[in-house]
Amino acid sequence: MTSESDWIGPLCRIYSLLLLGYPAEFRRAYGGPMRQVFRDRCREVARRRKGGETLRFAINVATDWVRTAVRERASEFWSAGRRPARRNWVTEWAGTLLILLFATTSLVQAYVIPTGSMEGNLLVGDHMLVDRAAYADPGTLGRAILPCRDVERGDIIAFLYPEDTRETYVKRVIGLPGDRIRLERGQVIRNGRRLVEPYTQHIASWPDAYRDDFPLSPRPYTSPRGRDMFEHHVVNDEVVVPPGTLFALGDNRDNSADSRYWGFVPRSYVVGKPLVVYWSYEASTEDLKDWNVDHIVDLAQHFFTKTRWKRTFLVPRSQRAQEVEVNR
Amino acid sequence: MENETKAQALLPLTPPVFHILLALAGEERHGYGIMQDVAQQTDGALQLGPGTLYGCLKRMLAAGLVEESDERPDPTLDDERRRYYRMTLLGKRVVRAEAQRLAGAVTVAMAKLAGEKA
Repeated sequence: MTSESDWIGPLCRIYSLLLLGYPAEFRRAYGGPMRQVFRDRCREVARRRKGGETLRFAINVATDWVRTAVRERASEFWSAGRRPARRNWVTEWAGTLLILLFATTSLVQAYVIPTGSMEGNLLVGDHMLVDRAAYADPGTLGRAILPCRDVERGDIIAFLYPEDTRETYVKRVIGLPGDRIRLERGQVIRNGRRLVEPYTQHIASWPDAYRDDFPLSPRPYTSPRGRDMFEHHVVNDEVVVPPGTLFALGDNRDNSADSRYWGFVPRSYVVGKPLVVYWSYEASTEDLKDWNVDHIVDLAQHFFTKTRWKRTFLVPRSQRAQEVEVNR
Repeated sequence: MENETKAQALLPLTPPVFHILLALAGEERHGYGIMQDVAQQTDGALQLGPGTLYGCLKRMLAAGLVEESDERPDPTLDDERRRYYRMTLLGKRVVRAEAQRLAGAVTVAMAKLAGEKA
């Protein structure tokens, strides 16, 4: 399969959920073909790879859904009298609303990249949707309807910042439970094998032994969680990722506050998987963290020029690092 | 003659219905095929969404303008089975009547606008 199927799959799943907005009868008659057609259109748009067209496609599908779902519901309602044993229209509408609420709150979540720690792949001001279902414990029912897999090495994850769970961070998973990790001149050595990571960016602005030859010893300002990592999880100068946690690093390796500084990410803090950048806007970290009047004025004045149109509907991808034998 | 009045009663057609009928004028098509043809006919101006497409087809089926053919795979796409549609006799009459009506409207427009400078 080509890489384009990466986003077509999730999108088709979302569309399947949207289909629940139509009356049951209509869905039974046309749901299957509609899904088919939607997928065909996705492929067509993916083949052409034109930013503007993708945006138009998305808007087109969204407005089409809103208009026709309402229309079919209305036509069902008006013709209700003529048919026997219909479900109450209130329950049907409530169904649509519930699906909408459910889809927007629990399946996806909007998120902004506030810092440059993933620079190279994700920029400051990238507004993205996070797929919350991707790594959630699905339960038995969920396993049947949603495609789930566990976090893998190389995945980009969104998670609650362990030091302050009001913040969400996005980093790349480097180590799973049991992995032995160390850094040697900025290169990650995992389980004795050197990683070749094409997705990273090294812009060493200053040499830093702690950052590049990890783990040495905690610094005075290392956080309690970081200290705990050094005290309990360093074996033979390597960090050993404990059960139920992940070791995550930023792609902008030389300028990223990540597991090296504040320890492991508890598995339960993982929010989901970044799905797609829906809007990318040049703004400063402060403006993105705290909306202020200046930012809103700036938005109004520069929406078109400061929006990075090329990044619209960009899909951040998981990437496996190549592993190379180390000659010690 | 009775057929003519039946066709007239269905006019004017909405643009999606008109273009869907045109798409089916030459041959049977499945949903995605209709969508592509409509986009081509209108130079991309009318890009039907799945809901619009199948909502229209539902009403067109009910009005007897189109009928379902069979389900079969499209050799140019993949081996998935797709539901094909074709135009009925009534559909053919209706789309012809609509085309005439539009042609009439265009003539009137040309005559009225001929004197005006752009």
